[in-house]
Formats: sequence, structure tokens, C-alpha cells
Amino acid sequence: MTASGPLRVVVLGYGPVGARLVEELLPAVRRGTAALTVVGAEEEDAYNRVLLAEYAVGRAARERLDVTDTAAARAAGADIRLGAAALGIDRVRRVVRLEGGESLPYDRLVFATGSRANVPTLGGLETARRARSAPPAGSAVLDQGPAPLPRGVVALRDLRDAEVVLEAVRDRRRIVVLGAGVLGMEVALAAREQGAEVSVVYHGDVPMARNLDTGGGRMLARAARAAGVPMVAHARAESVLTRTDDDGRQRFAALLCADGKEIAGDLLLLSCGVSGRAELAAASGLPVSTGVLVDEDLRSWGDDRVFAIGDCAHVASPGSATPDGRVPGGPAGLIGPGWRQADRLARRLIGEAEDRTASAVPLLPDERPAVVMLKAESVDVVAGGAVTAEPWDDPDPEPTSHAAGCPARHERQVAVWSDPAHGGYLKMVTRDGVLEGFVAVGLPRAAAELTLLFERGDELPADRTALLRLDAPDAQSISTSDPFAPESTVCWCNGVTAAAIGDAVSAGSTTVECVGAATRAGTGCGGCKGRIAELLARLGPAVPTG
Amino acid sequence: MTAAATHCPYCALQCAMTLRADASPSAEAGDGTPTKAGGARAGGPVTVEGRDFPTNRGGLCKKGWTSAELLTSPERLTRPLVRRPTGEFAEASWDEALDLIASALRDSRQRFGADSVGVFGGGGLTNEKAYQLGKFARVALGTSRIDYNGRFCMSSAAAAGNRAFGIDRGLPFPVEDLDDADTVLLIGSNVAETMPPFLGHLSGVRSRGGLIVVDPRRSATARLTEDGAGWHLQPTPGSDLVLLLGLTHLVLAEGLADLDYLVERTEGFDEVRRSVGAWWPERVQARTGVPVARLRETARRLASGRGVFVLTGRGVEQHVDGTDTATAAINLALVLGLPGRRGSGYGTLTGQGNGQGGREHGQKADQLPGYRKITDPAARAAVADVWGVDPGTLPGPGVPAVELLGELGQPGKVRCLLVHGSNPVVSAPDAGAVRANLAALDLLVVADFFLSETARLADVVLPVPQWAEEEGTMTSLEGRVLRRRKVRDAPGDVRSELWIWAELARRLDAPSEWPTEPAAVFAELARASAGGPADYSGLSHELLDTGIAAHWPFPAGSAGTPRLFLERFAHPDGRARLVPVTPTATESSPARGSALTLITGRYLEQYQSGTQTRRVAELDGAKPEARLQIHPATAARLGIADGAAVRVTSARGIARARADVTSGIRLDTVFLPFHYAGEQCANLLTEGAVDPISGMPEFKRTAVTVEAIGADQ
Repeated sequence: MTASGPLRVVVLGYGPVGARLVEELLPAVRRGTAALTVVGAEEEDAYNRVLLAEYAVGRAARERLDVTDTAAARAAGADIRLGAAALGIDRVRRVVRLEGGESLPYDRLVFATGSRANVPTLGGLETARRARSAPPAGSAVLDQGPAPLPRGVVALRDLRDAEVVLEAVRDRRRIVVLGAGVLGMEVALAAREQGAEVSVVYHGDVPMARNLDTGGGRMLARAARAAGVPMVAHARAESVLTRTDDDGRQRFAALLCADGKEIAGDLLLLSCGVSGRAELAAASGLPVSTGVLVDEDLRSWGDDRVFAIGDCAHVASPGSATPDGRVPGGPAGLIGPGWRQADRLARRLIGEAEDRTASAVPLLPDERPAVVMLKAESVDVVAGGAVTAEPWDDPDPEPTSHAAGCPARHERQVAVWSDPAHGGYLKMVTRDGVLEGFVAVGLPRAAAELTLLFERGDELPADRTALLRLDAPDAQSISTSDPFAPESTVCWCNGVTAAAIGDAVSAGSTTVECVGAATRAGTGCGGCKGRIAELLARLGPAVPTG
Repeated sequence: MTAAATHCPYCALQCAMTLRADASPSAEAGDGTPTKAGGARAGGPVTVEGRDFPTNRGGLCKKGWTSAELLTSPERLTRPLVRRPTGEFAEASWDEALDLIASALRDSRQRFGADSVGVFGGGGLTNEKAYQLGKFARVALGTSRIDYNGRFCMSSAAAAGNRAFGIDRGLPFPVEDLDDADTVLLIGSNVAETMPPFLGHLSGVRSRGGLIVVDPRRSATARLTEDGAGWHLQPTPGSDLVLLLGLTHLVLAEGLADLDYLVERTEGFDEVRRSVGAWWPERVQARTGVPVARLRETARRLASGRGVFVLTGRGVEQHVDGTDTATAAINLALVLGLPGRRGSGYGTLTGQGNGQGGREHGQKADQLPGYRKITDPAARAAVADVWGVDPGTLPGPGVPAVELLGELGQPGKVRCLLVHGSNPVVSAPDAGAVRANLAALDLLVVADFFLSETARLADVVLPVPQWAEEEGTMTSLEGRVLRRRKVRDAPGDVRSELWIWAELARRLDAPSEWPTEPAAVFAELARASAGGPADYSGLSHELLDTGIAAHWPFPAGSAGTPRLFLERFAHPDGRARLVPVTPTATESSPARGSALTLITGRYLEQYQSGTQTRRVAELDGAKPEARLQIHPATAARLGIADGAAVRVTSARGIARARADVTSGIRLDTVFLPFHYAGEQCANLLTEGAVDPISGMPEFKRTAVTVEAIGADQ
């Protein structure tokens, strides 16, 4: 806390993670203990990028992407500047230099600059590729190389990109998706469902290769093909072929592959991963790797007053770099961890602003690897953790988990269920019964349960088929498969079983009313009188009721 | 024979019944109410018949049918008991018991202040008693320390209802409105076991395939969705709030919201719209375990047209975020345009017999009769005027139940406690700590008809009448005021609470009048409630005895209000409030290893802490002990066989029970009923953490470990 006034916090970036941090800091802003300035490059309020693909195919209205109330944040006293870019940081004087020349002083600086879409090395796109070290030049060209992408080529990262895709989907154009990661598959399947003609081009054997094993990937490819999306595997895209539009401008015409294959289309959608926007941090001398390097407290390796959260943050222990300078790990690229980081950092900053003891700030919990779910109505795919192990692989005892000389316990176990014809696939990779990874395709209940089990580190049932059975059509009614089984309850109001009614019948009850008098069955809500009559008909000679 | 047309002593459905007893003239005079032909003599048998009424249509559940057995129970308390220096109870005269109590209370008040005396009430007390108990605390004792077990029951839904609608009536419509529903979303309520005759009102929606039950257990109610009657969503415990946010997200995402209604009748939609933006279905699936397709199906069904109801129960409300969860259910209903529209709506299913009326007339720490706030100067002035006291003498707000129980016996806090109609040693969270606190009191007085587990710890036990031995009124789950009628006199030296408080007030030289006739107390209650949200001023025993269907508000000159909100909501501007809510511990559930989540709940055959039902042979014979429900796969992992003895351990304590191995529960969840005492007491495990708004404890998200125990342990 400064001696004279509130803690000045400057946040660079106003995406969903930056906005979450702002929301969490507002109590301190209202109390006057923190002064908050936000610099966001996009003109729009923060929106939910997770749903961008759905917006891009016309399945989500724009307002569904709203995640924050910028007006309320401003009313609380936050200075939120949109359409603005930070061009430089003077860490000695502790100021951020803005486009237009203004300098913002800070006590704490937070990078929430997110990530930009990768532009692959393709003939025809060279000038659109952005050098990682190039400093930012302005809010409008934040992600652009020396030249913009050609017309008809788009990387789905912001609302403007989404509107390009939306137009193509509405016009039922041919869309070529390059890259079969989660986003590529989601947008391909959704665009197809909305009536566009879509193909997916990828260089590996299976889609979502980062998240799925071969079996799961094959299931997904099969499901996508069944949904009408051609899947072009093993494709090495080499260059973009363009044609000249009526207005004389170049426009995407086809993707040319190394084997000479030409995949023609109206729109090329690049889905080749993202990279953290860390150039501003790098230019100001902060350590960066695949993002701004921060410790478990989200603090920069190189400056105690600087933090990073979300897609631009590479969380790693200082000193964990390998001899060749690489740092393991990297941004998760998912919203959940980013929001968790925003929550924790806000608590920390408020603690600092209000002189609370550092012990009040919660420690970073162990992050389980994130679970990835494919958002698609036609196919259910959920996966998390390390999934490549196969049932007959070496058991891979964990080297550090047992004392020298003791037999190896803690062996990895892999269980697989595969039923391609019916679209079901399940793999569970466990150690000591706890999931290290899983893949579930076409088994939504099992997928949901495995997600919970994975995130909590709970032990799986020894009988793994218990999970498979969750999706069985009879899973919900095992206990009542025979409504007239002796132990099944006929009258809920009075807790009377079929067996008790049978006893009453044996003792001479011949009507629903007699059974009621003898057992109280049917004397509550009366909803079971039909079943009592059925039981009577089964158990005894036909008698008139009444 | 003498007969009384009355209602069941148990739950808030208040099924109508006729009691018949031997008609020999009563030893004491009747209480003067018009329908009563003089009470029958105590001691003879009383028979129970179902009586036709809109809620139960002549039917009763097992608890209702057997209710009269308790009237002749040999365990009945019939004389005051006073604990002697040797530690044993001895029978005492009323004068001795009341003198002892009055002197201890006067002494405590003089030495330690008025707040050194606490009062703990119950949601089973009649309106007359609930009202008089609140008055007794404020006027005769001058204490702010009064609260009641309804805090464990309706407080979250009440807080949410007040916040959203400006008023809290469990069902703002008659129960029969449900008969014609196309869709009912029932969240966290096991009505098939807790108020079985209610099922009659669900047969219509089941025949239309629209019953959607949300419960971590495949409860008896969840099983009613089988065979095409609807479907069951089985989220992980404590994730209801996320589930409701996700459903609201989907309703908005799919363009199913009733935007005209939101514009015309509500405030706050935009904030809620933005707040649910973060809860897209895949994220909700990952949190709740409910597949996306089920969520979509549910959202679409809820928006599919006419006759849609959203109903909540304790399953969603008994959490530290219970108020917010109930609010999320209300938000969903508002986004769908349900409340205040005939044939649809939102409601909460009140639990205890007078859980509705009991929360309206001053048993709550912050409340005055008529559901008014004790902090509101106008309300204080109005009520003080009826009571004939200076408003300045009325204490301010006290503390909610869990905090009150936490203050017992603590230095500078509550030293004497009066308990009426409650058994907190079994029903309160962290029951072990409650027991220890009660032992540290200077004086514990318990009024009950049996020697409950709490009464066993008392210094003085006062015998009071059962339902069939008293006159009064109850307010049912639909806000209908009903007459409870006496069929016979109470045995022995049993005296009504109204008489007890009048006697104590006299001994304490309290101001105001202390009538002992229920009809007279009701008349005073009606006056004191005039102008409040729960306005009874147009009602009297006499009017109720005409059989009128009296739903409050019932101000003088009105004909009652069967359906609230048709024209306007109860906020001054007539509009409902959507309040954005977000889960607090949203993102990471800590790695828990082998911990399971314990949820507590009920059996059909038992009621509340079991003080009554454990003494009915037929009921206790059917459910003589607590059984821990556990999934077969989880049981196999832990080496637990069906029927085996298990030990359940939490950070608070240990309970023991036998295992009930069933696939009707989630893999990560175990269930224990809370009706039992001793080592089977489920609340030895639960935590005294509470909802910051309602003061509701966390009953349904306790981390526990479960292990098999050998016979020798």
C-alpha cells in the first residue's frame, strides 16, 4: 500500500479473465483502498470466448456472451478503457505507456492479455504471421503481422472473426477448417449442423490428438463423418491458393497439401492453437516462455509488482527451466483455471491494499490437468489427463512412490470399453484406483461422473463397469424392474410392499378396500389403488371390486 | 363418542382427520370454542379417520393413521419433573416447578442481563403458542435471544422468497393448482416419504410425463419419474446452485425466456442474465455430473408451455448457500414467467406442521408478529401498542438458532434456556457441541410430552398437551390457516404452554395481558399482525370454524388470498426482484481422496428427531434404526457388506449405523436419516457452518469417511 493513497492496480486486458479480476476487486475499489485502471484492446465489453464458436455459427445470440457488467464496474469507480493498447512498460518508474502517449502509474501491474490465434507456416500467409518478439503497435493491429490475413481466411479468436464465420455459415458456404483441436472440431460440427458445408484438415492420425488417445480420436472422427463433416487426416497443408474477386482483391480459393491435394472452399478457418500475448512483458525485460513466467502466487519471476493470469500466464516454479532454457508447462488455455487465478489474485491484491496479513491469501491449490469437453449436440466427447497408455503397455510403476528394495506397487492400470458400431468408447487410466486420465465418447453419464472423480482425485469403484452401466437404458430403474416383486413398495404413503399385500390376500382380503383395511395400502394419496387391483387380479380369483 | 374435525399432528401438509374418543364428560370445563362439545376423558383410546379435504382427499400416511397411539403412550409425561441435587428427576407440583424457574430467570436477569435468558421454539407449535412465545420472550423476559428449529427448516427459502417477492408464503397458490400441471420441477424434496398424500397432486403431471425430480439419491420420489412419468437428475451433493444457473443459462440461450413478463413484472433481469452467462451447459455438466443432453431436455420442457411449477425442498435449502440456491430456483421461475400466473408458479414445500405459521409470528430472532421486522420502528410501535408496552422496552434482533445454541453456557452469553417443541440435541448441527453447551447452562427448562433427548438434560421438564388435547390454529404449506381441535383432555397434570407462560409472566411481574384461552390469544395475534405481510386480522377461531378456506394475507374485511402475486408482487413497486447469485466455492473442489459426501434426510415412518414416532410401535418397528445408504461399488471398495456395522467419521464426530447397500445413491454420496439419537445421531457429524443470509446450517454436504467395524468394536 502506498503511504498516501489507494493501491494503484493496472490491469492489461479485458477478456473474461481480466473482467473476473475486476469484479473481484470492486469491493476494494468501492472502499477506496484500491484504484483500478483497465486497458482493453477490443472496443467491446468483455465477453465469453468459450461460446464464440456457437456465436460464430449463429447458435448463440450476442448477449449470451455477456459475462460482466462493465457499467457497474465503472459506477463503482473502476477506470475501464476500451479500444486502448499498452505499448510499453517502464518498470523502474512503474508506469504503463499507452497508445496516444499517456502514462499510467501503477503499484501493481497485472497482465491479463490473453492469447492470440496461431497463423501456421503456409505459402500465402507469410506476411500475416506475427513475429513473437514484435512489440505491440496499437489496439487495432494487436495480433497482426506486417499484413492482415487475406480475405476468406480467418482465425476464430474475437467477435470480428466470428462475424466473418457467421456470414459464411448463413450463406451456406464451403468452410475448410485447418486443425482438428477442440475449437476446430466444435466449430466444424456446429457449422455443419447449421447447414454449412464443412471439412476438417489435420496433419495427424486422429482429431483432438492433444486430448484424446487413438481410440477416442477414431470414435470422434467417425462421429464427425457420420454428421457429414469430411475428415482429411494426415494432411500436410502447404499453401493457400487465392483467386481474384470481382473487386480485384485476392480471396481464399483452396488449401494445397503436400501430396498435391487441393481442398477448395470459400472460407479457410485456421484453428492451429493459440499463443500467450507476452511480447509486451518480454519487451519490458520480464522473463517469458510460452507466456509471462509467474510463480505459484501468479507473481512475475522478474518483478514483485507484476502479475499475470489466464491465457498469457505461464505458471511455473522459478528455477524450473531445463538447461536449454525451456520451462515445462504453459498456459492451460481454458477459462476455468483462468477464473480461479483471477479469484486468487484479487484476494491477494485486496489483502495488500488493505494491509491484511499475507497468510489470509489462499495458496494455489494443486491444479489437476483440465478436463476438455467437446461442445457439440451430435457427439459427446470428454477427456482429461494423460490418456495415451493402453491396457497391455508396461505397467509403469511410479519410480518415486516406493522405497528402494520394496516391490513396485502403484502400477498404472488401463481399462477400455470400445463399441464403435454403437458410438461408445471409454478409457480409464488409473493408479491406485485414482484417475490419471480418461476418455469418454458417447457415454454422457459416465463422462460426467468421471469428470467429477478426476477433478477430486477420488478412487474409482473397483468394478469399473459400474461407470459403464450409468448410461445403460435400465440404469434408472434397476430397483423396480418388476413392480410386483415381493419387496417392491406398492403404497408409498404407508410403506406397504407387494409381499404385505400378498399376505393380506392370503388372509382373505379380496377387494382393494379390504386390502386397505388390512394393510393401509391405498389409504393415503390413493395413487396405488390400480396396482393393488392388479395385484389382486394376479394373486387371487377374480372378484368384483367395490 | 365425541368427535373432533382436526388435522394431523405431523407435517405441513396438515392432512384433515377426524378423531373420535370416549364421550364421558370431561373433568374440566371445555374451553368455550363453539364446535366443541366438551372434551372426552383422558385415558381412553382415540381413533383416527381420514377426512375429506383439498390437500389429502381423505387419505393419510402411516404416520397419520398411527398418530393417536401417542395419546395413550405409557411414556407420556404427566407431572412436572425437577432435577434433584442427586441428579435424578423427581415429580414436582406446578407451583414448585414454576417458582423455581421464575426465581432462576429473575436472578439471571438481574445478575447477567436480560439476554442471559434464551428461548428456543419449534415449528410444530400452534400459531397461538408461537405468537405467545415470541411475546413472552420480548415482554416478560425482555430478551432478544429467541429463535427456533424452523431455522433448520424454512429459513433459506424464506429469505429467498422475501428477497424476490417481498413476502414469504411457502406455496403462493393452493396445492390443488398442481393437479393440472404439465411440468413440475421438484428440487431437493422427497415428498414420497416426507408428505406422501401430496403425491395425489402429482398424479396428473406424472400422467403427462412432466415430473422432473432433482436429487443425489434415487429417492422414492425420484422413482416416481419412472415409466415415462418424467425424469430424474442426479447431481452431486451441493451442486444444485450450479445446476439451476445452468438451466437458466439454457433457457436464455435457447430463446425460451418470457421477456414480456420480465419487462412488465420484474427488476434485475439484466444482472441475472449476465451472471448466468458463465454457466454454459458443458461447464455445468462438469460441476454437477448431469449430462448436457439432460440439461437441455429439462430447460426445454420447463419452457414448453402452460402449467409449469418449480418447487424446492430442504435438499437445496439446507446449505451454507441455501438462500442463494433458492434464489436461483426463483430466478429460473421468473425467467420462465411462472410466478403470479394462474396455473404455474414457484413454491417451497414447508416441512414442519406449523412451519409456515411458526415463521410468521415472532419466534424468529429478528421478527415481530405478522412477519414484521423487529428493527422496523413502525412495526415495533404497532405491536407494542397491542401489547400495551412502550416500544422502547422491546429488545432488538437476536441471533439465529445455530449462533444461539453456540452462545449457550458461554461466558457473558446465555445461561438459562427455555425449550418448547424442539429437540436440538438430535436435530441441530454438530449435536455433540450442542449437548456440551446445554450441560454448561445454569438452567435448562424443556416443555414436551415425552422425555426427549434434550429433556433428559433439563433441570426442569414441563408436561404439555398433544395435538388432540388442545385447541388452536396451524398454517399449512399453502398458507391456509386451519383449526386444530381438541377431542379430549390431556392426562394427569399436563398444562398448556399458554398457561405456563401466563403463570411465569405473573411471577416475573411482566406487563401486558396473558390470556390462556387459544381463541383469545388468536384474537390478540390477529390484531398484532394487522398491517404486516402475514396479516391475520380478518380471522378468528369463530370464522375459521365456519370451514372457510382462509389463505393469508387475510386482513379485516377481505376474503383471503388463495393465490398471491396475480396482480402484483409484495415489494412496494409491485415487481419481483431477480437477484444475481454465484456459487462461492465454484471452481475447485479440493482433492478429497477417499472422503464421501454425507447428506441427511428422512424416512417415511419417522418424523423430525423421532421424539414421537420412535414411540409408535408400528412406525419404529418398520424403521427401528438409522441405515447408512451407500452405493454397492463404493461399499465394495470399502469392504462393506449390506447390513454390516459401519463407522462414519467427520471432523466433528463419529456416528455408527448399519449399511444399506443400494444402487439408488451416487457413488460419491452416502445418506443417513437424522431421526435417531445416541451413536446413530447423524448430526454428530454435521457442521455448525451457516448460510450468511438465512442462518441455515449445512446439513447436506458433510465430508465423511466410512469404514466397516467389527462386532467387537
